[in-house]
Formats: sequence, C-alpha cells, structure tokens
Amino acid sequence: MRHGRPGPVFRAVVPSGRVATGRGGAARSAVVYLVALLASWMCAGVAAHAQNIGVRARVDRENIEEGGQTSLVVEVFGPTLGEVGPPDVSGITEFDIVGGPMTSNRFQWINGRTSATRSYTYLLRPRRTGSLRIPALGLLVNGRTFRTEAVNVEVYPAGSAGAPGPRPSPPGANPGAGGGPGRPARPGSSQSEGDGTAMVRVVADVDTRTAYVGQQVTLRVLLDTQTEILNLGMKDTPTFPGFWAEEIKLPENLELRRIVHGADTYSEYTLMKRALFPTGSGTLTIPPLSYQIQVRRRSQDPIESFFFTPTETITRRTEPIAIRIQPLPSGSRPEGFSGAVGNFTLAVTADRKDSRVNDAIGVKVRVTGEGNLNAVNALPLPDLSDFKQYAPKISSSTNVVADRLRGEKVWDYVLIPLAPGQQTIPPVRFSFFDAKAGTFRTVASPPLTIQVARGADGDAGTGAGLVAQRDVRQLRRDIRFIKQAPDGLRDRSLPMYRAPWFIALVLLPLAADLGLFTYTRTRDSQRAHARQRRERRARSLARRRLKEARRRMSPSTTRAFYAEVAQALTEYVAAKFDTSASGLTRDRIEDLLATRGAAEEDRRAFHRCLEACDYARFAPTSSGSEEMRRTLLAAEEILVRLERSLAA
Amino acid sequence: MRPARAASALLLALWGAASLHPLIASTSKELFETGNSAYEQGRFQDAAAAYEKVVAYGVADPRVLYNLGNSYFKLGKLGSAILCYERVLRLDSSDQDARVNLEFARGLIRDRLQEPEIPYPVKAMKDVLDTLPLELVGLVFLCIYYLAASLLGALLLATGAVRRRVLGYGAAAAGLCAILAAGILYYKIQDRTSAHAIVMTDRVDVLSGPSSDNTVLFTVHEGTRLELRNRRDGWYQVSLPNAMSGWVPSESVERV
Repeated sequence: MRHGRPGPVFRAVVPSGRVATGRGGAARSAVVYLVALLASWMCAGVAAHAQNIGVRARVDRENIEEGGQTSLVVEVFGPTLGEVGPPDVSGITEFDIVGGPMTSNRFQWINGRTSATRSYTYLLRPRRTGSLRIPALGLLVNGRTFRTEAVNVEVYPAGSAGAPGPRPSPPGANPGAGGGPGRPARPGSSQSEGDGTAMVRVVADVDTRTAYVGQQVTLRVLLDTQTEILNLGMKDTPTFPGFWAEEIKLPENLELRRIVHGADTYSEYTLMKRALFPTGSGTLTIPPLSYQIQVRRRSQDPIESFFFTPTETITRRTEPIAIRIQPLPSGSRPEGFSGAVGNFTLAVTADRKDSRVNDAIGVKVRVTGEGNLNAVNALPLPDLSDFKQYAPKISSSTNVVADRLRGEKVWDYVLIPLAPGQQTIPPVRFSFFDAKAGTFRTVASPPLTIQVARGADGDAGTGAGLVAQRDVRQLRRDIRFIKQAPDGLRDRSLPMYRAPWFIALVLLPLAADLGLFTYTRTRDSQRAHARQRRERRARSLARRRLKEARRRMSPSTTRAFYAEVAQALTEYVAAKFDTSASGLTRDRIEDLLATRGAAEEDRRAFHRCLEACDYARFAPTSSGSEEMRRTLLAAEEILVRLERSLAA
Repeated sequence: MRPARAASALLLALWGAASLHPLIASTSKELFETGNSAYEQGRFQDAAAAYEKVVAYGVADPRVLYNLGNSYFKLGKLGSAILCYERVLRLDSSDQDARVNLEFARGLIRDRLQEPEIPYPVKAMKDVLDTLPLELVGLVFLCIYYLAASLLGALLLATGAVRRRVLGYGAAAAGLCAILAAGILYYKIQDRTSAHAIVMTDRVDVLSGPSSDNTVLFTVHEGTRLELRNRRDGWYQVSLPNAMSGWVPSESVERV
C-alpha cells in the first residue's frame, strides 16, 4: 500500500527579525513590553560583549496523554554561533524519538546588535505514563560543551479524567478539539482570550459509505478556517488499514473556496485526496488524521501585534469514518476473473497483419478504464499453438479524472509464427465487476487474423528447433483406473512360501545332501575298516607264504622257494599299506616304509633279502639248502622287526 | 456298512467341491466384470457391491481388491480404499498401480506422520525390495539354494583334492548367496505378515489404556496406518511411526 505524502504545507509568513515562538502573554501591557524590550537589548548587549552562548530546551506540551506527542525544541543562542553540533539525545530513554531533528536558524539585528539562534526540534512520544524526564542534553558549540536544563513531562493515561487541558501557553491551542464533520470546532476558549484558533477545523469525508471490495472510495480532507494559516503539516504519516491507497494529486496552489456555515464564512482548502480501494470485506475504518496547524493569533496588544507576529500551533484531528465493504458476489463469478473492479474496455492490436514464419509480430493487449488495475496480474492471452510466445512486457499507468482513478494496463507480447497460412489469435476476454451495476461483465476482443507466409529461406516452420518445447504440466491428479482380468481370477490368498510344493522344494536338497553325507561317511568307514583288516592280516598272510616257501625248500624248487619268499615280503608291505603288491617297486617300498617310521637298518635288510630272492630266482647258478634256510630265517626276522617298528 | 457309507459321503463331498469350484470361478468372473461395467458407468456403489461379493467368494485376486479400492475411493471411503490397496500390495507388492493409488489416497488423509529417517542406501534398497514380487524372490532363492545344495553334494562325492577345493569354494559362495536370498525372502514375508491396521472411522481417540475411561493421548483420522502391537478385550494397542502409542477400540480399525 502506498502512503500518501503529507498534506501541502503552508509556508510560514514570518517577517525577518520576528520570532514565531508561539508564546505570548495574554495581557501584557505596553509598559511591560517596553521594559522587557529594553532589558532584552541590555542583555543582548552584555551577551554580545561577553560572547555569551546560551542553550535551552523546552517542550510545547508539558502535559500529554498516553500515545500523544510533544515537540522538544533545543535552542542555542548567542551573538554569533559558529560551529554548532546537534544535541546528544542518547540520554532520552523515556521517550521514543518519532521525528526530527528539524533544524532552523534565526538571525536578528536590532540597533546594530546581532543575535543568532539555532534550534533543533524533535518529536517525542512517551513510552509510559507518569512523570517523565527529558535529561539535560549536551551540545558542542565552538568546541565547548553546553548543557540544557532537564525538562519534565507529565503523561496521563489515555482517556483518563486527569488528561490535561491545553497548555496555558500557547493560548487557544486545543488539541483535543477535533475538526471532524458534524463536530464544529469550538470558537475559542477562556484561555484563548477570544483569539481565532477555534475557528479552524479539519474535516474528512468520503463519497460513499458502502462499497464493494475493490471499488474506489474517495477520501477528501478539507480545512475550514477563518484565520490566517501560517504553517500546516500532518502529525503522522497517514495509514489506511484494509485499503489500497492511491494519491490524488492536488494543484500546487491550493484552491480557496468560500463557504458559509450558519452565519460564519470560512475559507476552505482541500488538504488531501486519496482514492481508497478496499482489499477485504466487512466494516473498515479510515483512522483519524491529525494536523498541526500554525495560525496567526489575534492579539489585543497593539505593540505585540505591531512588532511581532503572534502565532500558535494547534492540532486538529478528523473523525474516524466507518465504511461497510461488501464482498463480490460469488455465484456468478466468471472464469478468468482476476479481481478488477470498475468499468473497463479491452483492445487487442497487432502491429501487422502479414508476416512470415519466424518473423516476430507485436501484439498489444490493452485494458483501460475506471478502476484499479494494479491487482490484475493474469495473462490475458491464451497459449497459442501456432505461435512461439514470449513472456509479455507489462506496463501500467494511472491518472485521475474527476477524482476517479483511471488505469491502463498493457501486455506487450512478441509472437513468432511457427507455421505458414492464415493464423488466428482467438478472442481475448477480460472479466471485471461493475460496481455501479452490481454485476460481473466480460469484454472480449474480436479475433485477429494474421496471414503468415513461408520464411525467407522457404522455411515452412516444421523445423524441430522452432517448436517451443515445454515441460508437460500435471494439471490434476486422480487414482489410476480399474483393472481387467482377461485370464480369469485367481485366489492368491495362499502365499508361495506356505505352499506345500515350496516347502518340499526347500526340504529336498537338505535331505539329498544329508543322504549323500551319510553315504560318503559310511563308505569311508567301510574302506577304513577293510584296510585295517588287511593290515591286521598282513603278518599271517606273510607267514603262510613263508610256510609254503619252507615246504618248497629243496634244490629242485629253488625258484619257487625264492618266489614265495619275495612274494611274502612284498605282499606284507602291500597289505600293511593297503595297496596293490603288483605296483610295488623298490623305491615305492622304501617310501612307504620310511613314511611309517621303519628303521633304516630294517629297510636295508628288507631290500637285501628281496634282492637276494630276485638274484636266486633269475641267476643261472642254483643255491644250496643252507642258503635257502638263511634266506628264510632272514625273511622271518625282517618281518618280525618290521611288524614291531610299524606297530610302534 | 459304516465304512461304505463314509466312503460314499467323502466321494460326494469331493464331487461337490470339484463341481462347485468352476461354478464359483465363473460366478466371480461375471461379478468382476459386472463391477467393472458399473465402475465405468460411474455407478461406484454397484461396482463396490459386485467386488465385495467376489471377495466374499474367497477369491483373493489382487485385481479385485484393487478395483474395490478404487470404488471405495470414488465413494469417498478413504479408509476402506487404503485398506484395499494395502491388501493388494500384500498379495502383489509389484503392483505399481496400487502403490500409486495408495500414495495418492494417503495424501488425502488428515494425519501427517513423520516417517523415521532412513539412510539413503538403505532406503534405496528398501524401495527396490518393496517393488519385487514375493514369488520372484522365492524363485530366485530356490535357484540359488539348489545351486548351493548341488555344489555341496558334489563336494561330498568328490575325491580329487583340486576338484574338492573348486567345489568347496563354489559351494561356499553359492551358500552365501542363498543365505542373502533367504534374508530377502524373510524380509518380504515379514512385510507381508506384519500386523498393521487402517483407521476406518472419521476419527478415533487413542487412549492410554484398553478402556474408555483412560486418558486421550492423541487422535488419528480415517485412513491412517497403525502398527498393531497387542490385543486385549476388544482393544488394540497401536503405535505410529513416530513411536506414539496407545489403545484404540478394535471396531474402529481394520486389520490389513
């Protein structure tokens, strides 16, 4: 919401050399005045002579209501001032500084003597009620620090019986006397001594007390006065909660009108005009607007009137204005209505009617009429499939005609035709609420026909690069559609892991592996058993062979004898080591015996006996009986020793 | 005489069951198509009634439950619709349509539940596993399991050292894979058999104990999924993903 500027300010008409202090006694006599003037000259002379610099602080109201404001004026005065720094206001903790510092300089030359005053004015708002204190403020003047006196301010609760009346000085200042409509200002008071301050009033009025949301309500603030206004300003920046405010500019020179209230004639000025647009429904209130007005005070003192301009500052406040705001009808709201309220026309124009593929066309959509178009943001031109469309440049402007805000909003589009032929921009629609008729209205433009020729290079606009690709937008969401069952329905309540076949398939490998394990263990066990039995029978088998050899121990059966002895030895080793006797060579026998820990001497004896048998079997000479007997004994001894060593 | 009579009764029962099955099958198919036709014409109440009859026949086909959920959704029965979609996913976790509809329906319930934070890799794996059908996981498990068992059997029969070593490594690797597949299958079974319930009434107060005079701890609304932790005298002890827990009347919720 825009805030309006403060109202026009009357330039103070203060003659040079005169002080518009706002102070003034009620009935000072000419003699007293002359004495005071003389004393002032004397003091000024002394001060000038002593280069005396003085500072002081004062407030315009020492008794204020809670939430009110008071002006603090810090003045530095002296014959000449030189460099003056602003006062250090960091010590003001019980007030909020809501305005200032406003600096003003005053220079006087009287009878060859000069005096200068620089004042800093602050607007203070108390933070609490009670007796508040503005502490002594320090100023740096020509490198020296001066301190003002502390100032006390009494703050009363708002609306309390103890709320202060106007301060005796300035006379006639009557802050509480509002100048709203129906409440004429009181013509003076006992303190005003019949001056003219009460004949000033400020009135706010609106053109309608009921309106629709978005409909313009024109606020006007008028100043009626019977006295000369020297200065005027708003106390606070005006705010209009619940409204969009547009300023209606006033002429530089305020127009003066003469009006008559009863028997009195007033000069009337328009201080402010605002076009207010309600943003919500219900009862909205335009808050009071406060003005501080400096007026010329009528003085019965001719000397004062002659030498000075007696002035005073008064406050006038308008009455709050309640306006009933109705919502827009919801039943007949057209699609695409974007909130415009007023009376509008629509125009759609193209900068040319003939174009080529890829040649840009400018299309303007212009909405004009009475009402506020600032809130209208919807794009009026729909998506056009045959044009590449860029984001429009939007411009808007407002003007005021007969206190009614008129707006114009222009959407400036650039369209690029994508295909040759006769292309049409469809009608553009704009809907608004006509507050006067109380209905929605829709205005539409006629369709625009654009003749699009092929491009300069014969481009028919079918190139993929020209297509304005955009992401596919999800407009709405819904559940997915139902399913069909062409293959029939199946009951799947029994899960696979509970099906007997699944359990059987899980158990089957377990059983198979368990069976295999059992089988292999049994087989290995049987093999081991057979090996042990053969090993156990090795000795007896060898003895049987040796017994057979003993039976053949005769010269005629020498070869058979030695064959039996050799076989007894070989088969013994084969049985002991569970191997075949046919594949046993000397080296193999040596390895086997060595691995089982047979003594080397026994192994050597074994081989010697075996070699002796082989020699006797295949040598041409025959052995004697004694030789065979020794061989038999040696074989028996070897077997005994091997049996012993292998068993160990 | 008695055994003969019993045998006759058994035969009659078997014949009856055998003859009833195709009858049910044909009737349920017709009802299903009747429901589909009603749904397409916008008669969602009739469609739901037809699907309910199919379910009452004991035909737990995910497509029937899915269509029933859609009918409930169109009728505005959010809790019933969510219950049906949950049951569809229990029967067939790979049904993307049911998953999408369930997510859409969950977006309409009034309770917003904060799911516990899951690290990204775990969440990604969970999402993948959730979309795998239980049957597929079971078949993959069986394949790996049989491979491991075969290698183990060969190892038992093998004699050569090299062969035994190769078979041993192979059996160990296949065994590990089989254990992994068994874990995934277990997760799927747990997911299918986990005890959950859907709130079926517009709102239900969750109490601090299994009786109505207990303190109201919080309130849940139609369609919210609760984990069932205990049951006692017509009351369920339930909990939410954010560990809030309490008791609700069993008639206010429906077990998935």
